[in-house]
Amino acid sequence: MATLLTIVLMAGVTYLTRIGGYVVLRNRVLSARATAVMEAAPGCVLISVIAPAFVSKNPADLLALAITFVAAMRLSMLPTVLIGVASAGLLRHLIG
Amino acid sequence: MNSISLVNGGIECQNNGKDNNLRNQIARPTLYGCVDTITIGSLTGSGGREVSLWKIMSVSEATLPEAIDGGSSSEFRRGVISCLPVLLGTIPYALVLGAQATQKGLSAVELPLMTGLNFAGGSEFAAIQLWTSPPHIALIVAITFLVNSRHFLMGAALAPFLGHLPQRKVFPALFFLCDESWALGLADAKQRAAAGITPAFSPRYYMGAALAMYLAWVGFTAAGALLGPMLGHVETYGFDMAFPAVFLVLMRGMWKGVAAARPWLVSLVVAALVYLFIPGAWYVAAGAMSGLLAAWLMAGEA
Repeated sequence: MATLLTIVLMAGVTYLTRIGGYVVLRNRVLSARATAVMEAAPGCVLISVIAPAFVSKNPADLLALAITFVAAMRLSMLPTVLIGVASAGLLRHLIG
Repeated sequence: MNSISLVNGGIECQNNGKDNNLRNQIARPTLYGCVDTITIGSLTGSGGREVSLWKIMSVSEATLPEAIDGGSSSEFRRGVISCLPVLLGTIPYALVLGAQATQKGLSAVELPLMTGLNFAGGSEFAAIQLWTSPPHIALIVAITFLVNSRHFLMGAALAPFLGHLPQRKVFPALFFLCDESWALGLADAKQRAAAGITPAFSPRYYMGAALAMYLAWVGFTAAGALLGPMLGHVETYGFDMAFPAVFLVLMRGMWKGVAAARPWLVSLVVAALVYLFIPGAWYVAAGAMSGLLAAWLMAGEA
């Protein structure tokens, strides 16, 4: 029940973000400050979600994250994910 | 980093060194396509699933003549075809999301219900990452809203092209607004506008791309949820590292220099500290909000 409610509410707020720009913003110009905040928002959320990985107590995880980080700076999505998953799996097997 | 700026109806592609082999990577299957940013005036749509702009460029260039005399069904088909390369990169992640969701206790019915009703990959990855049993409803809904807040900017950028459409068509169509359908639809509209075609925005082209994404996303997240139990515990294999990998690549795509990334650092530090010292999943909200506050304060300095 809580699961269903969560899903329906997620869908509701997501749909609001989809129509919100069209309904509210179409005849307005965002202030520079509001634009700056909106532009920073996705990155702030994403890095916050994965922040625990940066303070893991498992050395294998930290090493795998470092490898994944380097890969992410240089490679596209699929190779980065494959390297991340493989390095985490291998290092946990070897060290952790 | 590569970016295409859509300014004054023209399309510029910038390729700033480094990725000179980008053209060779058109077919590369990346998670959400390759990582580029789209700049439309001062608006940036990024995060969530991203789209290879070279694909947009090459696809829309290749199909432009068809756009001029295409009928309604060929417009729809043109949209589906332009979305196919993007699907190549999306499907593996739909499977991973499905497999992860079953590890968190969601059923093979509940997950496609989520991906079908919510249909916003970035927020679904975040939600599954934070999922507990029972789920922390307020937190997950708030994070969903924050992750998807970019839709406000995307909708605002699209709004000028939707003026000729009745609202009874716009509101259902906006349900299918995602990074890919938005990027494809908007790039196509800009190009048609430049070619003097009116109306510039092709709703059937947009819906072709959007429905292709939708069916693939819901179908393959469901498949991942069904196959997930066969994969066993994903942590053992390191599949959980897919999340940092995905998010880091997405963030590289949003990179606009050190100054613009300072709010991210604030978010990272605050989220990590809250995670270490405060029980529960509040680190996400604390990290995100402190980053937004930093962005707001920094914008005031400039």
